[in-house]
Amino acid sequence: MLKFIIKRFAAAIPVLLVVTTLTFFLVRIAPGGPFDTEKAVSAEVMQALKRRYNLDQPVYVQYFDYMKNAIQGDLGPSFKYPGRTVTEMVKTGLPVTFELGVYAMIWALLIGVTAGVVASLRPNTAQDYVPMTMSMIGICLPSVLLGPLLVLVFGLWFEWLPVSGWDSWQHKILPSLTLGSGYAAYIARLSRGGMLEILSQDFIRTARAKGLSNTAVVFKHAMRGGLGPVISFIGPAIAGLLSGSFVTETVFQIQGIGRFYVQAAFNRDYTMILGTTVLFSVMIVFFNLLSDIMAVWANPRLKFETSKGAR
Amino acid sequence: MSAATETVKSAPGSDELSRAQSGMDVEQGTSLWTDAWIRLKRNRMALAGGIFLVSLTLMALVTPWIAPYTYEGQDLQLGASAPSAAHWLGTDTLGRDLLTRIMYGSRISLMVGFLATAVALLIGVLYGTISGFLGGRADMLMMRIVDTLYALPFIIFVILLMVIFGRNLLLLFMAIGAVEWPTMARIVRGQVLNLRRQEFVEAAIAMGLSNRKIILRHLIPNVLGPIIVYTTLTIPSVMLLEAFLSFLGLGVQPPMSSWGLLISAGAESMEEYPWLLIFPGLVLSLTLFSLNFLGDGLRDALDPKASKD
Repeated sequence: MLKFIIKRFAAAIPVLLVVTTLTFFLVRIAPGGPFDTEKAVSAEVMQALKRRYNLDQPVYVQYFDYMKNAIQGDLGPSFKYPGRTVTEMVKTGLPVTFELGVYAMIWALLIGVTAGVVASLRPNTAQDYVPMTMSMIGICLPSVLLGPLLVLVFGLWFEWLPVSGWDSWQHKILPSLTLGSGYAAYIARLSRGGMLEILSQDFIRTARAKGLSNTAVVFKHAMRGGLGPVISFIGPAIAGLLSGSFVTETVFQIQGIGRFYVQAAFNRDYTMILGTTVLFSVMIVFFNLLSDIMAVWANPRLKFETSKGAR
Repeated sequence: MSAATETVKSAPGSDELSRAQSGMDVEQGTSLWTDAWIRLKRNRMALAGGIFLVSLTLMALVTPWIAPYTYEGQDLQLGASAPSAAHWLGTDTLGRDLLTRIMYGSRISLMVGFLATAVALLIGVLYGTISGFLGGRADMLMMRIVDTLYALPFIIFVILLMVIFGRNLLLLFMAIGAVEWPTMARIVRGQVLNLRRQEFVEAAIAMGLSNRKIILRHLIPNVLGPIIVYTTLTIPSVMLLEAFLSFLGLGVQPPMSSWGLLISAGAESMEEYPWLLIFPGLVLSLTLFSLNFLGDGLRDALDPKASKD
């Protein structure tokens, strides 16, 4: 087991290295420097600015400096907001994004597993079709649409919930629903599939023949195995939630990493772009790793198969 | 994308399907397609989805001739108006006809969907076929690269590319296509790996056919089923990505219109003029619905075993 974990960790390092290097050089070749302003700046000022941001060195020196600092958790100063470092901004944004992701995950699991299990109990009846149609709607209603719709209905028409910000628990309902709905739909399909497979097996028939109640069969016997696919999806899902909250954070004006990233993209704040990209990659790799390890822990046979990470 | 495979199992007639597939060889190729077509026709939702998509595409093609107004034509005196006889879906805040905007938007959104998928298709199918065909070390290396790509934060990369190279439409296709191909490569490779061991390929090798001919003539035609299915399922995710980017202001730029852009603009003024959000949203959702149903229907009809991979 330990050997497996070490092997996976070792495999993750080149991935991160590739991402960081690629991003670093992509950002360097981008047209329009961070100091392009309408006003002409004198040569000395430009020189001073460049020195301040370590841009007067050859590119490879910059690269190694950046990598050295990044490993120590220093992602450099922000180009756009003088006096603020990328690490600082990440520190304020990450907890918010993380909280949003966790709530979205809770919604997704609650709704998804319930719908999937309910549907699997009576396949090809109304009890199956209704939750599965709902899940199809969930997949086809992207957050760009669902977010504004929720705001419109619950925030503006009924005025039950606040439409932006991230202060009280009321603020957190709509964003986490928006972010979680697609995952809920996917989890519903996964758990339905897993449950259907388990419910048709012999040990379930034996359990029923023993005279166990339906509740006991479903909750004690079937769900343990039937939710396997869902469990192995949690890791990639968290990675996806954390790095996929741009739209949600934009719609609800939440100051998380996703919003910082979009703003950085608009402002051409290159160090911020670079820093957040590296951060996102680390998170994705980490959670994929975690879910691989969890899956192997639950089912040691998987150790010999290659993993199928999600994005 | 493995979520939809469960539906295959419960679908009636999946056993006759596997019989049809086990009998599939070079001569009987056509019977599989006829069979699949009959099964697809029985699936009402998939058929409805297909019809909707075909009509939408046709409409998008002839839009410049049938659109009631021009897409940038403003009527500032009118401003935003509710649906009426003159403007069936109302007008936006600049007095532009919403129906016309949606029609022109569908040209862009569908084009991004189709072209980006085509890019993904081209790279994925070639890569997967070559990897599966070569086998051994080359295969291992090529799949390792795909695994690495899977671990990258793709949406972020698309945004990054858009920032660096400017927000041009051609780049948008390429970037999205470049992001979507690894899954296709994986599916195709799995299929080819199976085919590779079959007699007709060995015969072709023994006859001294060049690798290029074997790949193009024998392997790719035989993995067409899964490719078609997965293509139908890639288009919605591509369109979603376009909507995402345009919504964030990083995709299609005004005055051009795309559904993502229309939804984004609609969301800004939805309190006063909710139809500006609802109509474009409805079109996008219906399209995604149709594509998903058609994809699931095709999957049931063609039963590609590799889609589980």
